[in-house]
Amino acid sequence: MTSDVTGTAVEQSRAMTVEVAGRTVTSCRLGGGEPLLYLHGLCDVHSAGTPSEPPLFLARLAEQHHVIAPALPGYPGSSGLEEIEDVEDCAWQLVDLLDALDLTRVDIVAHSLGGWFAAELALRHPARVRRLALVAPLGLHVRGVEVPAFFGAVAPRGVGGMGEARRLLFADPDGDAATRALPDEMSRDAQLRWFGGLAGAARLGWRAPHFQSRQLARRLGRITTPVLVVGGHGDLLVPPVVARAWSDGLDAARRVEIAGAGHCIPLEQPDSARHVLAFLSDPGVTDASGNVDVDLPGVTDVSRTTGTTGS
Amino acid sequence: MPWPYLGPPREFLARHEAAWVTLPNSLYDPARGAELYERYLGELVMAEELGLDGVVVNEHHQNAYGLMPSPNLMAAALTRETSRVRICVLGNALPLYQPPTRVAEEMAMLDVMSGGRLIAGLVVGGGPEYYSTNVNPTEARPRFREALELVVQAWTRPGPFAFDGEYYRLPYVNPWPRPLQQPHPPVWIPGLGSPSTIAYCAEKGFGYMGVAYYAPPETFARQAAAYHEAVAAAGRAYDPELLGWLTTVYVADTDEQAVEEAATHLAYFQGTLAAGFVGPGKVWMPPGYLEAPALVQFLSELRALVEGPRPTDAKQAVWRRSPLIGSVDTVRRRLLEFVTGLRLGTVLALLQFGSLPADLTARSMHLYATEVVPYVRREAERHFAAQGWAT
Repeated sequence: MTSDVTGTAVEQSRAMTVEVAGRTVTSCRLGGGEPLLYLHGLCDVHSAGTPSEPPLFLARLAEQHHVIAPALPGYPGSSGLEEIEDVEDCAWQLVDLLDALDLTRVDIVAHSLGGWFAAELALRHPARVRRLALVAPLGLHVRGVEVPAFFGAVAPRGVGGMGEARRLLFADPDGDAATRALPDEMSRDAQLRWFGGLAGAARLGWRAPHFQSRQLARRLGRITTPVLVVGGHGDLLVPPVVARAWSDGLDAARRVEIAGAGHCIPLEQPDSARHVLAFLSDPGVTDASGNVDVDLPGVTDVSRTTGTTGS
Repeated sequence: MPWPYLGPPREFLARHEAAWVTLPNSLYDPARGAELYERYLGELVMAEELGLDGVVVNEHHQNAYGLMPSPNLMAAALTRETSRVRICVLGNALPLYQPPTRVAEEMAMLDVMSGGRLIAGLVVGGGPEYYSTNVNPTEARPRFREALELVVQAWTRPGPFAFDGEYYRLPYVNPWPRPLQQPHPPVWIPGLGSPSTIAYCAEKGFGYMGVAYYAPPETFARQAAAYHEAVAAAGRAYDPELLGWLTTVYVADTDEQAVEEAATHLAYFQGTLAAGFVGPGKVWMPPGYLEAPALVQFLSELRALVEGPRPTDAKQAVWRRSPLIGSVDTVRRRLLEFVTGLRLGTVLALLQFGSLPADLTARSMHLYATEVVPYVRREAERHFAAQGWAT
């Protein structure tokens, strides 16, 4: 791992495909040191598989960790979608993956859809998750909060135009991050990745059209893993009120709100990785279950719950 | 059964993204709706009076394209208002029914009520239906296959029996009534050309009805060729009635008159009502409904059609996608070419399309049923008597 003076990772990512319980899982790996599992979201599918140029957010994480970023089931490079009936199956597929990677207990950074799955994993298998950073996590149903329908917004158009999807997913739909991730003119490969990924997202996200689980809402307080919630100020899918519900409902949760970010925080504000790094390097965040109450040096705009409002 | 009051495509698309799923239902006027049902049902009854072989109804939800969320209700009315024609429900979208034995029951009712005149169309359902019903599109195809298996078993296997599938687990399958036609009504499946659907129809002896009215006729010709190959591969005798072509038809005294009279109504059909099913705007095609490569291919074909060069000549512009619009002679000649060239035994003629008004519909239907169909039937029989359908 080499870094330039500004700390930007310049290393190429490495692709890895493993057979997991008869399924194929392709991951991108970068950096070195303690392993860190990154579960991607709805809009940063490029971070899975084999990007020649790793996204900046992952590169930042890789400055201090050995990042392993698998493609979720159904996303290009990973099979197993047809075996998923509910989120329980998803959690077990993640357990299988951790076993295959020899990770008995690991830090997880999970964004969007990946955040939902990571939370369900931590709920069921607390011994496997040491610390959990949830970046704009989907999955939580908050009564009375209406969010736009994702799959309608991303339905294809006969002629070009990903504008509606960009408006849903980015604070600045005309900014570089948005237009690079979801350009109006997509190459055939990019279309295959995007539409293939949507099928992965739809498997569990369709029946719950906003990727929201009422069961998770009821069970949230049972998660004992230390959690950082990173929310986007302009996120339409996980608006700040929902991000707050996450941190309020979780024991041992802290929350950061990122300005200038919509749902795709890692793409739009890659520098937000510093909050995650600070959380993961803070000795005050213990890997014991139960309440933690720590300060994050150098981090502003942090709201912290005492961990007593959950369940 | 279209809603004809939305305006021409350009005007419509300036105000709405699609005629499906999200088009506000405040635009539906029930009083006008009553007149339309009366008219459209009357046109289907007229098809029998004019000597056509069958009438077709179909299922679509939350849209202005087809006002039959339940085609079985229309078919039920037709069992009473007709006495001879085949009544083809094309079809019931099986994954949308829970449990799909409901379809086995209703279709058995229709078959019994009509004296064995039902043709049972069983369909996956279009992409927009999955947004409208929130049924998971990533399961659409395996769910469809299993539901179809269940429905056919419900018709043919002595009940009660248990069905233990991946998607449907029913301890008691035992529908009353059973269908009149034995072992069961003919099953037809419409398709957009998916090789697996074509192969499946050929294997099972089901009818394959090619839907290609949005595309040039070569698209259907390719589907027909694939069906012939699939039937041969399945080792079945070729039955021409099991290959069908869904296409718009309009007949007038001259080609010029036909094109002039049909053009705006055809544009309304293809541009306004189909908006949402096909581009240029939103295409309600849900994830996982097609495999990603097939979806990318579909979108690129759509785009080519939208952005490709448009014929400036009015006739060529219409004939690009609708060859059966013209004089009696033109439609006779072209239809005969399709029937003999593609060994086609069934033509599903869309005789009312888009905003085509009642008087033009009636006149064209009359010419088609009395001048075109008898001629093509006679000539095709002569052609195939000489060389046989199967070669």
